[in-house]
Amino acid sequence: MKIICPICKKTTTWEENAWRPFCSEKCKLIDLGKWVLEEYRIPDEKTGEKEKGETTKD
Amino acid sequence: MEEKEQINQVGNDEQQEKEAYGAEDIKILKGLSAVRKRPAMYIGSTGPEGLYHLVYEVVDNSVDESLAGFCKNIEVMLHHDGSCTVIDDGRGIPTDQHPGDPEGRTAAEIALTELHAGGKFESKAYKISGGLHGVGVSVVNALSEWLDVEIKQNGKVFQQHFDRGKPSGPLTIVGKTKSRGTKITFKPDAEIFEETTEFSYDILSQRLREMAFLNSGLKVSIHDERTDKTQEFHYKGGIVSFVEHLNKNKTSLHPKPVYISGEKDGITAEIALQYNDAYTENIFTFANNINTKEGGTHLIGFKSALTRTANSYATSSGVLKNGKDAALSGEDIREGLTAVISVKLPNPQFEGQTKMKLGNSEVKGIVESIVNETLGAYFEENPSVARKVIEKAVQAARAREAARKARELTRRKGALEDTGLPGKLADCSEKDAALSEIFIVEGDSAGGSAKQGRDRRTQAILPLRGKILNVEKARFDKMLASEEIRILITALGTSVGTEDFDINKIRYHKVILMTDADVDGAHIRTLLLTFFYRQMPQVIENGYLYIAQPPLFKVKKGRTEKYVQNETEMQNMLFELAADDLDMPVRGQAVKGKALIPHLKRLSKFEKLIEWFSRRRKDPNVLRLILKAGVNKEILKSQKAVERLSALIQKEVPNITAGEVNSDEEHQAYSVEIRRHNNKILVDTNFLSSPEFKELENLYGIIKDLGEPPYKAETKEGLKELNSSAELLEHVFAVAKKGLTIQRYKGLGEMNPTQLWETTMDSEKRTLLQVTIQDSVQADEIFTILMGDQVEPRKDFITKHALEARNIDI
Repeated sequence: MKIICPICKKTTTWEENAWRPFCSEKCKLIDLGKWVLEEYRIPDEKTGEKEKGETTKD
Repeated sequence: MEEKEQINQVGNDEQQEKEAYGAEDIKILKGLSAVRKRPAMYIGSTGPEGLYHLVYEVVDNSVDESLAGFCKNIEVMLHHDGSCTVIDDGRGIPTDQHPGDPEGRTAAEIALTELHAGGKFESKAYKISGGLHGVGVSVVNALSEWLDVEIKQNGKVFQQHFDRGKPSGPLTIVGKTKSRGTKITFKPDAEIFEETTEFSYDILSQRLREMAFLNSGLKVSIHDERTDKTQEFHYKGGIVSFVEHLNKNKTSLHPKPVYISGEKDGITAEIALQYNDAYTENIFTFANNINTKEGGTHLIGFKSALTRTANSYATSSGVLKNGKDAALSGEDIREGLTAVISVKLPNPQFEGQTKMKLGNSEVKGIVESIVNETLGAYFEENPSVARKVIEKAVQAARAREAARKARELTRRKGALEDTGLPGKLADCSEKDAALSEIFIVEGDSAGGSAKQGRDRRTQAILPLRGKILNVEKARFDKMLASEEIRILITALGTSVGTEDFDINKIRYHKVILMTDADVDGAHIRTLLLTFFYRQMPQVIENGYLYIAQPPLFKVKKGRTEKYVQNETEMQNMLFELAADDLDMPVRGQAVKGKALIPHLKRLSKFEKLIEWFSRRRKDPNVLRLILKAGVNKEILKSQKAVERLSALIQKEVPNITAGEVNSDEEHQAYSVEIRRHNNKILVDTNFLSSPEFKELENLYGIIKDLGEPPYKAETKEGLKELNSSAELLEHVFAVAKKGLTIQRYKGLGEMNPTQLWETTMDSEKRTLLQVTIQDSVQADEIFTILMGDQVEPRKDFITKHALEARNIDI
């Protein structure tokens, strides 16, 4: 399976790749560092309030 | 003896002292028969490595001639019978009689038959010599079934033949010539090389290429008669070409390799280096053309000068703040570096187990000072290259720092946890990982319910919270706090990272993600899936990762409660309930009970599709009329028919504005635009042949089956008449929902421990979704979009998914 290294965006393979899904040990480490340093954030532009559970009665 | 004339002639010729490579340069050391007894002592082994050693030994002699400035071409040939020929155009092995030899042999014969006899042992003839550890060509002779030598010297051609090291006769003049050089052909002895005597073209050509790189201008060719393969290596650029060759398939940071050279105390050093965008360090070192695979003093000198020069440039150029940033480590600076270091010196000392490490201590300082001077100046003159090199090193340093922090993270243990397990984890009592599961539960309250509801024998609970950061006024970023990641990794027991991670240490063979069915839950699930995919793909590969499937609804009727997993299941249940109670005419016949269900499903599909059109500003009333009139592509062929259709719509539906009937030349037909309020439908061939309209036409069958409104629907409570199919469907749901309480779960926290157990955690009843690599590749893609710097794709994605979320509501 061809995959794209999440860090450097080079094409690499899943099979026989000790660093999958990365291309190299270095890229895997850089990624781990980003998790640890809390650099991965999903921005959430909120619109309005969160709806609460609704009840329907008839 | 004929040779004697020659010997005198050469010996008296003093016009070029340097070229006088005479018999007195050869020292006699006896003991060649020892070589056959213990070949490994001389050539390392009797395996393939030793076999190639024979060729290198002969070639190295020719290269030495080249180093001394007398040889420009070396030719290697592999023959059908397994023998090998090496030809050079050097001065030729001395053919004169050795003055110190009591037996009166020629210097050539001595060089070929006496161990440790050769010009190399006194640096007068050869200032610099490789000749692998100087065992000499006599070793090659001793280990060959036979060997032929042909020397062209001073206009004459000399020949001598040897069998297993013993001459079959003296060195003899066989003819005249205008050229010069030495030609040695030998056949490795199968008695010695028991494993194989076959030469590999590829191995030899690689080494010969190296030789050509290291001796710029020297032409080395190889020809394999067995296959007719031929290559010629000739690099005017020397080691610069070598570096370019090594970086051939890589992306270089700067177009031309940096070349450094210098000479001091008879030692010359040459270095070529070039950075590429990879992370590996690739340094080749040579001393007198010998590949010093274990490095040595030349490598140490180079490394220390590179580190020093790069750091001083980084500081002076302001990339590194003095006193604030840590200095760049040598390893960081060498990331992505391809370099070739070649030194040539009179008395190389080789150390280490394989004798592949240069030991001469004076070399370190010489290489160091040459690199310091030249590289520092190069950086000053080429600031753009210097900056790229330094920036890459800084990035490498950051990655290293991140890795260190990651390691620290997983190795640090909480002070009060003597088991080493996080306090937040409610572990199970089972110790066999194959029988244990862990639920990673979003939020503390749901975590609490899960802890109470679980089967504590086999189920562990780890509550996890996404961290929310208020970045701007209306923007909240979600992420996994590093502490949460630490706890997760510790609970799983696998550790993390490139060295420490061990899937065999996993403490649970089912890792179950349990998150809320809202946007926050989806985000946390995406973060976790991405983390597993990237840092622990083995968990997914082994099929250990699952997603819990909590129900979306709870339905109560009287005293019975039922959990409904998703929208489809919910709708099917409502149709069943409605059919129990309803009695409706279909195609004029009263239908009730189970038989009614398919009709209700078709009705619901039809209304859903009408709604879909309506969201796209196609008026439902106009659509129904088009369907009722049976408009199709054929009708559009006639202008009259289209005019009639337009008039009919205007008559039947209020507030219609119909446009002109236009010709649609592309389809040889006519079209008309119908407007009502803000909606508009262009009735043309394209519209009528769209898949959506065709599906609508198809589903319209149910409306035909229901007959003309008012529609009749009878329940125990009496007969009801409804004016449209939409109203009818609404009534059907109303009948179904009578006496029902439907609760939609938005969060796990809305379930009590028993409910959570019954619906989601009980292994007898629950459904789990096993995560596959494909799922996680998708999660990573979503993650990348959500994380991305590009705002547009992210917005598109969010809008698209928000639309879908809206559509699933009943």
